[in-house]
Amino acid sequence: MTLPTPTARREAPNPLMERAAALRGSGGMAAVRGVAPVLVALAVGLLLHFAIAPQLPEFYPRVILDIGINVILAVSLTMVNGFTGQFSMGHAAFMAVGAYTAATLVYYGSARLMGTADFASARAHAGVLSTMLQGREAAFFTLGDGIFIVALLAGGIAAAVCGYLVGLPSLRLRGDYLAIVTLGFGEIVRVIIQSQTTDTLYDVEVIKATPWPKLMRYMGGPVGFTGLPSYTSLFWVWSLTVVTLVVAFRLKVSTFGRAFLSIREDEIAAEAMGVRTTTYKVRAFVIAAFFAGIAGGLYAHTIGIQLNAGELAFMKSFDIIIMVVLGGMGSISGAAIAAGILTVLPEALRRPPPVDLPWFLLVMAAAWVAALLLIRRPKWWLIAVTALGAAYAWWQQPTLASPLMFWTVAGSGVLILLFAGRRVPGLIGLAIAVTCYIGVRSAAERAGIKLSDYRMVLYALALILMMILRPQGFFGVRELWTAWRVQPLHPRRSRAEGGESGTAGRVPTA
Amino acid sequence: MTRIPSQPGPALLDVRGISISFGGLRAVQDFNLTLPGGRLHGLIGPNGAGKTTVFNLLTGVYAPDTGTIDLGGAPLDGLKPSARAAAGLARTFQNIRLFPDLSVLDNVRIACHLRTTGSMAGAMLRSASNLGQERAILERARELLAMFDLLDRQHEDSRGLPYGDQRRLEIARALATGPKALLLDEPAAGMNPQEKVELRGLIRSVMERFHVAILLIEHDMGVVMDICERITVLDYGRTIAEGTPAEVQRDPRVIAAYLGDPADPATGE
Repeated sequence: MTLPTPTARREAPNPLMERAAALRGSGGMAAVRGVAPVLVALAVGLLLHFAIAPQLPEFYPRVILDIGINVILAVSLTMVNGFTGQFSMGHAAFMAVGAYTAATLVYYGSARLMGTADFASARAHAGVLSTMLQGREAAFFTLGDGIFIVALLAGGIAAAVCGYLVGLPSLRLRGDYLAIVTLGFGEIVRVIIQSQTTDTLYDVEVIKATPWPKLMRYMGGPVGFTGLPSYTSLFWVWSLTVVTLVVAFRLKVSTFGRAFLSIREDEIAAEAMGVRTTTYKVRAFVIAAFFAGIAGGLYAHTIGIQLNAGELAFMKSFDIIIMVVLGGMGSISGAAIAAGILTVLPEALRRPPPVDLPWFLLVMAAAWVAALLLIRRPKWWLIAVTALGAAYAWWQQPTLASPLMFWTVAGSGVLILLFAGRRVPGLIGLAIAVTCYIGVRSAAERAGIKLSDYRMVLYALALILMMILRPQGFFGVRELWTAWRVQPLHPRRSRAEGGESGTAGRVPTA
Repeated sequence: MTRIPSQPGPALLDVRGISISFGGLRAVQDFNLTLPGGRLHGLIGPNGAGKTTVFNLLTGVYAPDTGTIDLGGAPLDGLKPSARAAAGLARTFQNIRLFPDLSVLDNVRIACHLRTTGSMAGAMLRSASNLGQERAILERARELLAMFDLLDRQHEDSRGLPYGDQRRLEIARALATGPKALLLDEPAAGMNPQEKVELRGLIRSVMERFHVAILLIEHDMGVVMDICERITVLDYGRTIAEGTPAEVQRDPRVIAAYLGDPADPATGE
């Protein structure tokens, strides 16, 4: 009889990873997959910066820029609130850490490296890829750009470090408790920044004579960091937005993303299945904080922004949470679309864009038909009401593009959302909602009501309706391209193909 | 069917004297268990006897007040549940705990995660090794689902599965962690007689194919007496009997625990 030799514990054989080694992809394709998102990101950024932005009316590029920053914020928060199900209420604080780190480095770094009096002027120091300022000659890449990029990255890293520090104590906390910790963290960040000295140094010689630790105190305090160069451009924002989206999506569909999701689904079961839940919660915090920090750096150097910690307090965190909730907890495309809508909506309510009625009518009708086709058990009375309404509108004004026709279709769209809102696929629900907004707006115009006076009320009303009609958000956990799959409401019954074949197959054959 | 060797092998799961109290309640007292590899051990007892508490102690949900737990010669004491799963201890839950909003396939794929060694950066870049890892996970998950006849439902949300399918998915998910010992908590609960018959075959075939030791909590005596080689009986947190099904069935203390003690005036007789 041989006794097992008590040698040092060897690496246990791992059949899964042995198989994985056999199934490895090719190195060449891996390189393509690694580089492709960067190329796409650059292409999107260049296209927006050079081709699209100059074509648009004055105000639009700035809205597109804000959308990009909000998409980064919403998608990064989705990794914490949506993937792991932890409720973080301090996302704007990570943004603030990134913003102030980047701002300090750009402002004082420029002063030290350039040494000229106009060190904080983007007009003088930005390359062609940077800044939204129009009509200037510049080199392709300048020292200012270099400082800006390094500062953005540093802001992301500083925020990630903070994410780790917040993640650590929150290991044992769940739900409300974690929310309070993150809320507290947000307030701490705000108060620390605001309690610094009010001044910002602007004399190059003084800045050069002051050591860095001391410089870091001159961030404007409660007044705000004034005089930052506005390097942020559509190119930088949207390149980084694409990178964020790709990283988030690749994480979600990987084994790590599934580990994140399992924590949200059932933390005890996830732990029992070998998912190191505390580790992954912290990782989610760190990654999310990193991207929030980058978004903060971009925000700080946007033209017309006066960086102030008071703006990046609890209310800002709340805005980002609303985007995540509207999009659907755990849906990246949902969060991105919600970020887009919630950025545009207040602006659109302020200054309504011109609307082509027949075109919108067509979109509305298409969405309406699709919704009726895709929900189980279509509401026949709804179809009847709409058909009657359309017939009446045609009888009154025999043209498809009449306001009456519009109201018939929009009204029945609202009814669909009211009576079957939970079952309508996300994208179609979204289309109906947007058309409803346009209906409200055109009606208000005709009645002579200035909607801009009521925009925050309308904004809040839209959110309330959303939570009542569709609490899971537009896409639930799904993505844009799988959102059309309507989940059955009840467990499907076993197929009625005869008990014998249906049950015999259940016993696995050894 | 497996032949039961008369001589038990070396202990795979070795539990010595674990106890835990909740406040004044001694939920489990001095529990011992020696489970050799490839064996099936039953754990029975009336409601509230502490069976599930034993599972929670073994898997690290609770820390025992006293006692030690070894798996394959390595101590598990003080490890978190995830580390115990990595050491080779997998479980199912009495009240099913699947990941309800995730697909059947993802439920099993998540359980493969602990055997992966790739990095998160690899996943972000979709490196060659990350791709191989994802392929291997997919292959293994599909294999398991095919074995449990759940493959044609792989894309459905697990919350939508019928009850029996959910129970079987839990076993498939536990096996995906690559366990040495499998703890099944009332796998037959809520099943109809036909499903229970199938479950017996399923448990036997799992033992043969995966060479795992199984510790089984079950209320259904038909299932327990049929498939278990040895049985431990718990009552009020104490082990009152241990032996083969035939021995346990004859034990007067077991009969008393289940039917009431004829000598005890409180139970009449």
